[in-house]
Amino acid sequence: MNNKFDALKDDDSGDHDQDQGSPKDGEKEKTEDEDKEQSISKKKMVVPGAGEHPLQYNYSFWYSRRTPGRPASTQSYEQNIKQIGSFASVEQFWRFYSHMIRPGDLTGHSDFHLFKEGIKPMWEDDANKMGGKWIIRLRKGLASRCWENLILAMLGEQFMVGEEICGAVVSVRFQEDIISIWNKTASDQSTTARIRDTLRRVLNLPPNTIMEYKTHTDSIKAWEDFHGLVNASGGR
Amino acid sequence: MSTDCQKTTAKAIPSTKRVTISDAEHMPHDYSTTPGGTLFSTTPGGTRIIYDRKFLLGCRSSPVAKTPPRGLPDIPGVTSPPSKDTNEKARKGESLNNNNVTSPVNNDTGDDAQFEMDI
Repeated sequence: MNNKFDALKDDDSGDHDQDQGSPKDGEKEKTEDEDKEQSISKKKMVVPGAGEHPLQYNYSFWYSRRTPGRPASTQSYEQNIKQIGSFASVEQFWRFYSHMIRPGDLTGHSDFHLFKEGIKPMWEDDANKMGGKWIIRLRKGLASRCWENLILAMLGEQFMVGEEICGAVVSVRFQEDIISIWNKTASDQSTTARIRDTLRRVLNLPPNTIMEYKTHTDSIKAWEDFHGLVNASGGR
Repeated sequence: MSTDCQKTTAKAIPSTKRVTISDAEHMPHDYSTTPGGTLFSTTPGGTRIIYDRKFLLGCRSSPVAKTPPRGLPDIPGVTSPPSKDTNEKARKGESLNNNNVTSPVNNDTGDDAQFEMDI
């Protein structure tokens, strides 16, 4: 049985998360349970060091890349996403950031994800499933700076939307790069408007910049339509 | 319905400060800043730990922030686990980047320069 989320998207639309499916349903529960245990133990481990500046939340860096030349159907989310590490303070963040390549220097079809610890950078995560994201498409050469400004605003709690922010993604694609920020409740218009306004401010975007809000349910639908897989395996 | 309620009289909030805004330019850049420049650490969601960009960038140069993280996975071309060579490079990149840092308050020219772009 072929689960649609095992497949990776073949086009280059830049919608990073369409490259990632969830594991097969049977495996999913097990994986989530394991992850819960892991994140509990990680939470105990990752604390601000003495004299460091604590962040409002702990975060994790993730990296994903589409492996070229392999049949799409054999690639699962788990095979394509790697957790780089978690941090709880400003200083711990810089340790990771300074030892990671800047997104503008990434090659191929790859993404950096920075999500609150315990939230997986995938549509199906409980924190994301009712949510959506603001998307900004950038011409080549801007991703590194925009990404830095975006994540600094997120870590510094500049969005002022309570618990709503889930994480941020930078997607490096063939002709353009994309940054996005994910929030919990796509239907909460005052929250999404505030996120949009904060994005404009922290990224210093020109007034004519096109910003698009996409709900994750729409992303899932688009994914299913693209693959002609709606209900193909009795799934979603 | 108790008569006690009637006895309570309203009083003005002490030491109110009024700031008149006549132009959009005078509005603060941050949601966390009020027109007088006051920083609130308490927001509708409760007390939150807020840092602006300038402060976060300032923390980058602290020695503890340069220590390589424990357990950093080695992903070729993506992460650079500690080695003298890569650390040197990383630091060079950092200082180059930090030269462009401007205060979020008076960054209009600086940040505009960053974003001379057609998206």
